Amino acid sequence: MGKRAAICAVAQVRNQPEYPHLRFQNMLLECFESIMEQTKVTFDMEKGIRNIITCSDDVFDARTISNNGVTDVVGAHFRGEEKMAQESINGLGYAMACILSGHDDVVLFMGHCKESQSESRLMCTNLAYDPFYCRPLGMDFRSADALQAGEYTEKAGITDEQLAKIVVRARRNGKKNPYARVNDDVDEKTVMSSPMVCDPLRALHCYPVTDWAYAMLIASEERAKEFTKNPVWMAGFGSCMDEYFMGDRDLASNFPLKNAAARAYAKAGVKDPKKDIQLFELSDHAAYQLPLWAEGVGIAGDGKGGAWIDEGGPDTFNVNLSGGHLNGNPLLLGGAARAIECFLQLRGEAGERQVKGVKRALAQAAYGGAGQHQAVLIMES
Amino acid sequence: MSTKNTDKDSFAVQGKLALPYTYFAGRVGSKFLTTIRDQKKIMGTKCPTCGKVYLPPRQVCQKDFTDIRNNWVDVSATGTVVNFTVVRYEDRHLARKPPYVIAMIKLDGADTPMAHILDGVKPGDVKKGMRVEAVFAEKTTTTILDIDHFKPEAERAKSGWQPKARKPYVPEPESGIEEKRRGGKPDMSKPVIICAALAGAATMKNQTPAVPYTPAEFAEEAYKCWKAGAAMVHVHAREDNGMPTHDHERIRTTHDAIKQRCPELIVNLSSAVGMGKTAEQRISQIAAVKPEMASLNTNTMNFSLLDRKSGKIFIDFVFENTFTMLQDFGKAMEENGVKPEIEVYDMGGLDNTLLIMKQGFFTNPMNFNFVWGVAGGQAFRVETFVALMNALPAHANFTTCGVGLDQFPAIMQSGILGGHMRVGLEDNIRMPDGELAKGSFEQVSVAVRAAECLGRGVATPDEARLMMGIKKR
Repeated sequence: MGKRAAICAVAQVRNQPEYPHLRFQNMLLECFESIMEQTKVTFDMEKGIRNIITCSDDVFDARTISNNGVTDVVGAHFRGEEKMAQESINGLGYAMACILSGHDDVVLFMGHCKESQSESRLMCTNLAYDPFYCRPLGMDFRSADALQAGEYTEKAGITDEQLAKIVVRARRNGKKNPYARVNDDVDEKTVMSSPMVCDPLRALHCYPVTDWAYAMLIASEERAKEFTKNPVWMAGFGSCMDEYFMGDRDLASNFPLKNAAARAYAKAGVKDPKKDIQLFELSDHAAYQLPLWAEGVGIAGDGKGGAWIDEGGPDTFNVNLSGGHLNGNPLLLGGAARAIECFLQLRGEAGERQVKGVKRALAQAAYGGAGQHQAVLIMES
Repeated sequence: MSTKNTDKDSFAVQGKLALPYTYFAGRVGSKFLTTIRDQKKIMGTKCPTCGKVYLPPRQVCQKDFTDIRNNWVDVSATGTVVNFTVVRYEDRHLARKPPYVIAMIKLDGADTPMAHILDGVKPGDVKKGMRVEAVFAEKTTTTILDIDHFKPEAERAKSGWQPKARKPYVPEPESGIEEKRRGGKPDMSKPVIICAALAGAATMKNQTPAVPYTPAEFAEEAYKCWKAGAAMVHVHAREDNGMPTHDHERIRTTHDAIKQRCPELIVNLSSAVGMGKTAEQRISQIAAVKPEMASLNTNTMNFSLLDRKSGKIFIDFVFENTFTMLQDFGKAMEENGVKPEIEVYDMGGLDNTLLIMKQGFFTNPMNFNFVWGVAGGQAFRVETFVALMNALPAHANFTTCGVGLDQFPAIMQSGILGGHMRVGLEDNIRMPDGELAKGSFEQVSVAVRAAECLGRGVATPDEARLMMGIKKR
């Protein structure tokens, strides 16, 4: 086994519909101070943090070089700072690369997003599309997801009732998570009568607008014990980008996720995810994605996601006990939220949602319309 | 600082991102977009290595990295909806006021579906598999919205055209006909005589329930054909169990049932009857029943049943028609006032007739039927058709029939060359699209349509008699 990178500490503010009284810098500072307190890490150029990775998005922040707004509060002045302008989970992949290359041994990784700042998060994702072919049609991640939902629900025979079950379960789980967004209680009937927003997506099938910030301290195997007694190891990371044009993709095939998972499994020595992994955090931006990604990581059979829901697959495999993305995370930061839940579970710090005997957990994150980009991180205690 | 909201005096600054941009569409994108704008034409790029046609066009095939930037192909403005969603939420970036449909449309000739707006149909009526066509924008935006949207493909325009009433057929001097045929031009001046061969000897109810066996069934089917436009029916009488019969009484009953139901119609009886009948059995019934017309076969030939796909022989049979039979049958018909319909299965049969006719007993005009596709005869070929027509004796009429798939092409060619048409379940049980015909009458309606499209119209039974030299009984 080669060298390993460890997550030594995590910090977060609560996921909220809106932080009207906190700038995202304030949100980050809360997290930063928590990491300092937990780990006593310093900014000494020899022994401390020499490199900081941030995650934010220009369009969600409405300023280019969005990291420019936070360099001071994340301690990045006078040292290395690099921005992950992609789904946050890739920041962990990048931190691994920094450490495993020997370039760094302590990395601070922080991210923020106030989705509530923009009039419309969907308009932000419309800008993810090219200005010639897709943007003029009004495409955004919601309509892209809807096209995928149409194909997948048909292929796997997913019913409106099953989708409602997924939403109700996400909110029930979220209630046990002190950092989860507080949402109204809903029952299945409410979900099924919520308005159709983009067929076959109903309003309550989509994750709610959310503000959030987090911090993590990542260290090399040699340094990890300086910051924590029980580090969580990043054992394997894999990502895969699917084609850009929707018409080029097989939307219900899970092609990019299967590829990303296979690469992460190979690195972590996972042979059978059903047996080798005890907890899964999946990137359900919309309800239909929970069974779809479950198929992609190999805990539900291909095209069998509907039956998997009915058979209680999400509870059997300890999926999204945090509430998941569906309960509320910013789009950009879902992967970090997934990894933080895995971290807490692996350390036995997940409170009333704690699963006993979790030795290995999987965090998955999707980005781009209809999960165009997929990343999988395997974490171990 | 606390994440608890304790400060009610938070001040929010309003802002807006609004920055005009000019984007270069790339060389491939430029050609794609300007071709839509200027020529209202959609083009893709095709990979010569894997054959994939990309839409929107790409510079490089992402499958095999072939440079395809100059390999443009035209793609149709029509296509099929392969996936769609209905945008029902309000937002500023949307292309239309909701609800509107964003569909993945696979244009004909492209391999990659392209996203676009589908309009002109209620969102609830959109279905996967729906055929759609591009509606080009009146004003350019030089984006993909130069195709303003797609709409359901227009159904083929239907005109209510019906041919106007035709002038009655009046026989003209033969010299006039010869004049019309000069220079190889067909004489299309005569209306088309449509004959329906109702049963034959071999079409059985297990193939199509519409084939008649009993006199009543023959009468009913003949009536439908007459109503559809047939001037004549060709009949092989059957027993109740479907077996072809030479029994005079059964044949007469069948003949009379038809004549009773539609007295106008010409009934043309078979002198072949069915397999294994003697010469006496074949001709005596004609002399006894005396139909207005009867078939007269011209050569001894294989007349077998083979599997058309594998060539496997099911039933091998020699259909005997010696010169003596041709002579004796022909004479018997002429003597009984029955007009022979001379069945020609290949050029040899026609030559046989040209030899026997030297005896001088055939009355003018002679009427020939070119038969195609019998296993043992010739298959339908356009040049053979012309050769047969050119070898006919002066003043002769010709009609044609084809077995199976040969049926409709053969009658079309006959129509174009000034000849007549025979259809019916004896020769073919299907319609042009491969569906089972509901009866011979349905095929008659196809022949009627063909005749009308040629501007010839359809002959009444009396006009047919005039043309073919038949005396009405």
